[in-house]
Amino acid sequence: MFEFLFDPRYYPDIIQGLALTVEITLFGVALGLLLGTLLAIGDIYGGKLVKGAIAVYVEFFRGSPLFIQLFIAVYTVPAILNLRIDHYFLAFFVFGLNSAGYQKGYIKGAMQTIFDDQMAAGTSVGMSRLQTLRYVILPQAYRIVIPSWTNEFCSLTKSTSALAFVGLSDLTAAGISIKAATLQILPVWIVIGAIYLIWITGFSKIMDIIYEKKKIIGVELSTQ
Amino acid sequence: MTDYVMEAKNVYKTYQIKGEKKEDYKIVEAVKDVSLLIRKGDIKLIFGPSGSGKSTFLRCMAMLDIPDKGEIYLGDQCLTQKGIDLNKARARIGFVFQHIYLFRHLTALGNVELALRKVLKLPKEEARKRALDALAEVKVTECISKYPSQLSGGQAQRVGIARALARNPDIILLDEPTSALDPELTGEVIDTLRDLAKEGTTMLIVSHEMPFAREVAEEMIFYDEGHIVETGPPSLFFNAPNTDRAKQFMTRIINRTTRE
Repeated sequence: MFEFLFDPRYYPDIIQGLALTVEITLFGVALGLLLGTLLAIGDIYGGKLVKGAIAVYVEFFRGSPLFIQLFIAVYTVPAILNLRIDHYFLAFFVFGLNSAGYQKGYIKGAMQTIFDDQMAAGTSVGMSRLQTLRYVILPQAYRIVIPSWTNEFCSLTKSTSALAFVGLSDLTAAGISIKAATLQILPVWIVIGAIYLIWITGFSKIMDIIYEKKKIIGVELSTQ
Repeated sequence: MTDYVMEAKNVYKTYQIKGEKKEDYKIVEAVKDVSLLIRKGDIKLIFGPSGSGKSTFLRCMAMLDIPDKGEIYLGDQCLTQKGIDLNKARARIGFVFQHIYLFRHLTALGNVELALRKVLKLPKEEARKRALDALAEVKVTECISKYPSQLSGGQAQRVGIARALARNPDIILLDEPTSALDPELTGEVIDTLRDLAKEGTTMLIVSHEMPFAREVAEEMIFYDEGHIVETGPPSLFFNAPNTDRAKQFMTRIINRTTRE
């Protein structure tokens, strides 16, 4: 049943699939953090127009399936820009934009729990609002947000199977092709599932260690 | 050259308290036509009932709240005119909060160092030295590497004072620095303030610590319902205030102190 495990012909599929899943997830979470931070700041400081635009953005990315977002990106963006853009490259950005829609909420929530008093303290010592954001508010918000970030990472890792809709092969796609070649349906999915599980659990453990090391002493998390 | 450190001229500030429903909100006139002059070395103490607007006035002085009307001067510089670099001005004003508000991700030392590095742009070594000096001045050298949550209330507030002090500000504004502390911890903070007073630090303090006021304040300011009701030396208030309102308030507060 599990003979395919010892057949080197299937290794490249699994390795490439896992690599794509890992790359897109890590890049997506990182880009999502950057954009999510900007969206959170915009949502706190912005006027009605900015807030409205951010709300539309967030609802679009949270409210529609990821494969549709990928589809739209792949079939409209190159046409609009009149450029040939690699699907792989577009997929990276869609994952980042999608993750930003979720992370904006986490980061804004973390910022709000500390915002008023820490902003007053920061400006009282002569720092600008921007300096206070950079040196006081964000360093605290990011530490508070680490566990939500781990969740985001877990959910994004499993979402990479949507890449199949635009012709990219992640770990799930590797499973589909091995299953077709071997017809060992259940064993293949057990193995693929185990790979996901090991990678996600390992990474989450690392994040937990980082959280424990970096957490602000005495500030307990209430967002999980 | 004047020896004026700060001046408030006809300052007004109102704010809204939102109710449960959108349409029920209350407008609070926290500061109504308040003027105050502080000279170098002055120690003035503002006191009065809670909710009377003392803290709002103090925050206006530091431009942490922007007054609706009126002028705030720091030396010769008018802070309420347009185009002023308020961050630069705030760097010359020390502010101590009632609820302390230390930066929670930084140690006691980090709290004091941050503005020295990022606002005064001092080199690392010099910032550290000045931060350590300020922490020594408030006598918390034993806990410089502790985080805010690991400090007692009294220690935390003294770190808060060191943070305000380290930049050598022209004036320190203190908003009820002891009222959020356990009674047995107020003493150490009062001792610190007494030391600062001896060194001639210019201070405007909102406080109800009456024995302390009597000892160090040159002028006491009785503040009620958004304006200054009466000012005078401590002896005036402890013997015979002119206004009935101040008389009532002093009686209440002195009774409370003796009961304790």
